[in-house]
Amino acid sequence: MSSFLKRWPALAALGLVAAVWLALRLAPASPADAEAAATPPVELPVELPGFRADSWFLPDEDLLGFVQVPGGAFVMGSDAGVDPLAFDIERWSPTAAQGTVDVPTFYLGRYEVTVAQYAAFVRATGYRVADAGALTGRPNFPVASVSWTDALAYARWLGEMLAGSAATPAPLARLLGGGWRVTLPTEAEWEKAARGADTRIYPWGNEPRAERANYQGPGPTRVGAFECPECPYGLADMSGNVWEWTRSPYQPYPYDPTDDTQGLDAEALWVMRGGSFSDGPQNIRAGVRGGADPGARRPFIGFRVALSRP
Amino acid sequence: MAADRGPRSAKGPKGEARANARASTPTPTTPSRNVLYLPLALSAVIGALAFLPRVQANPRLTFSVWGAVAVLLAWLAVLYVRLKRTDEGRSFVAVLRKQHYIQACVQLSIYAYWGWYWRPVYEFAGLFLAQLAFAYAFDMLLSWSRHQNYTLGFGPFPIVFSTNLFIWFKDDWFYLQFLMLAVGFVGKEFVRWEREGKRVHIFNPSAFTLGLFSLVLIATGTTDLTWGPDIASTLTLAPYIYTYLFAVGLVCLYFFSITLLTGAAAAVLFGGSWVYAAVTGVPYFIDSEIPAAVFLGLHLLVTDPSTSPRTPPGKLLFGAMYGGGVLALYGLLSSSGVPTHYDKLLCVPLLNLSIRGIDALVARLRASPAWGSLRLEWAFGRPNPAYMGIWVVFFLSMAALGRADGRHTGDSLPFWEQACAEDRSNACERLLRLEATYCGDASAWACNELGVAYTEGRLTTADADLAAGYFSRACELRFQAACVNLLDPTRTSRAEPRLLDLRLLLREGGLNRMGDTEGEIYARACEHGWTFACSRVAVSL
Repeated sequence: MSSFLKRWPALAALGLVAAVWLALRLAPASPADAEAAATPPVELPVELPGFRADSWFLPDEDLLGFVQVPGGAFVMGSDAGVDPLAFDIERWSPTAAQGTVDVPTFYLGRYEVTVAQYAAFVRATGYRVADAGALTGRPNFPVASVSWTDALAYARWLGEMLAGSAATPAPLARLLGGGWRVTLPTEAEWEKAARGADTRIYPWGNEPRAERANYQGPGPTRVGAFECPECPYGLADMSGNVWEWTRSPYQPYPYDPTDDTQGLDAEALWVMRGGSFSDGPQNIRAGVRGGADPGARRPFIGFRVALSRP
Repeated sequence: MAADRGPRSAKGPKGEARANARASTPTPTTPSRNVLYLPLALSAVIGALAFLPRVQANPRLTFSVWGAVAVLLAWLAVLYVRLKRTDEGRSFVAVLRKQHYIQACVQLSIYAYWGWYWRPVYEFAGLFLAQLAFAYAFDMLLSWSRHQNYTLGFGPFPIVFSTNLFIWFKDDWFYLQFLMLAVGFVGKEFVRWEREGKRVHIFNPSAFTLGLFSLVLIATGTTDLTWGPDIASTLTLAPYIYTYLFAVGLVCLYFFSITLLTGAAAAVLFGGSWVYAAVTGVPYFIDSEIPAAVFLGLHLLVTDPSTSPRTPPGKLLFGAMYGGGVLALYGLLSSSGVPTHYDKLLCVPLLNLSIRGIDALVARLRASPAWGSLRLEWAFGRPNPAYMGIWVVFFLSMAALGRADGRHTGDSLPFWEQACAEDRSNACERLLRLEATYCGDASAWACNELGVAYTEGRLTTADADLAAGYFSRACELRFQAACVNLLDPTRTSRAEPRLLDLRLLLREGGLNRMGDTEGEIYARACEHGWTFACSRVAVSL
């Protein structure tokens, strides 16, 4: 051995290289890295009643769950004279309690985005799940613990999938081909979809009704679990279940559709709407405005997607 | 520097040879198996250190320390059984060598100064101790497994200190730190050659193991297992670190006659850096004239008398080759996207391998007629203090020109933005690299700038997914422009850095600016070339 080492020091050095190489290759990942690298088990159901497994678990409907909300004006904000639960931030201006906003036609998801839909996205893209709680719910429950940026990433991916799929229903494909984008609704779009053309306080009327929405409860329920024939446009869970991200920064009223991308020096919160299972009747009103950090991931915040004109 | 083994060690220059001659006079102890209590006690010390809160905080680190103890005890048991069977004993001889304890003192003073400004160094003290105990025990067992006698001195100190000045494995992989030390000692023991009629180790033990591990870390894509980049960058947290390294380095230069080596390396590095900047308009090293860790390396890593040339011309050539090697490796590593702090480590083993060639070349040159006609023998025959004088003048000149501790052009992001806009050499690539570093440090502004770069595809190849990732990170850090970019990918929005961003962007290699006032931050930003900050200085003061 020692004569070999005397004659072949370079080979001995190479042997050491190999040994160190092996040691490093066999080095197990640290717990922290392993946690970061681990993709949570993304389990997708074979079938999910009411949803299409061949279309990323979108609703089994003509437009895959996108519901048209016709363009036109609606009344935005809350009048504390009519709605005693209204917060100050919902007041339109010092001189007017509410204002009128004209919203062009858009499409909004009938349901909040589900765990199965989000899991399909994660599985397809390898998108990092920062909060494993996002995928622990049942497949037809709303996805939660997702940030504003996660929601936008899902919407972007879904838009690309729908635009590139031959199975996309023709009307939807035409819209996407015409430049419409899958994104989050603005808060005006959201409020119009929740309230309709009249000034109702809740999607079903002016009084809270426990059988119409999941609120003051122990946790989320499956999307569409609460029937609401009075709700505008047939949308489900616009009140309660989980708060829903919008693409509007949290700014004082009056709402200006053109200022959503202004004020770049600010560190704005982003508006979320609709309240959640853990809120009382005050927070599930159509006019209520919540604000959260774009990176916030909470078990009571989810989202639904919209299809908006460019 | 190396830990030599008494009578078998190579003799250095005159002074060193005298020191070794004096040191080799002590006689060994009577051979006995009782000497094995020494590594046993050291193993117990390591085991006791496993109970430190710093070690207990991480189960893997605790396991690593216990693992080291287990290896030593197993080896000890095997050796004991073997010696008992053959009824043999082992002995040691205490030899205190100047190059070991002086080097260790200098290194310790650097840890003390650096740790004052970067506390993880002090928090690492228990693990230094564990490594020292391991190094002694390992060296003893290795020696007694092969020889009768062990030379007990301060040899392991400079090996452990020198290794830790450049690479620490993170707690989860700390067992590799023990392995790295072990490889250093094994390399010293086994990888040897004939030089000047003596069988001596080829490689500087710490440089050998550092170079080897660097190579493998790079090749296996596991560079993030160590704190190497953090060590390299946090040296500059200590103010006037270059001046400090220069001052303590003079001690080594004086005692070990390595001024020509260090001076030549520094001259090539300063010179190469200056020429590059003059030709391209951008600095060669991003944030310094010579990185502080390289400056440290040319004083304490490459200067082992046992593994460097003996003659003054050889030292000059060796130092110049080290400087050139670092320059070349820095360029190579940065163009390969590999962390550049390995530049100072990788070339040392290769240089160690070249010293017989350097010695031969010097001998041939000395025999040539030109040598005499140029009076080179006279030039290289000056006493070391004469070279030290030149080195002092050289360094002070560099310092006076702001090339050492002064603020460096490359610290300024606006400089790189301007250089990129003017399409200067590699400027856009470096701008992106700097922004990636700052983005990793949670500067939302830098993440947004990267997102814009990957969206527009002007500075680099467009990549929408990468851009979205950077915008998301910036947005989650509440940088509004990035959120807007996520919403509308068809156009890009930018904004000036926020105060928090500036605190990160103005670190100049590692300074902590979190406690600076708003006015101080804007004033510094204005000096860096952020024009928007100049208008805010007066408002915030």
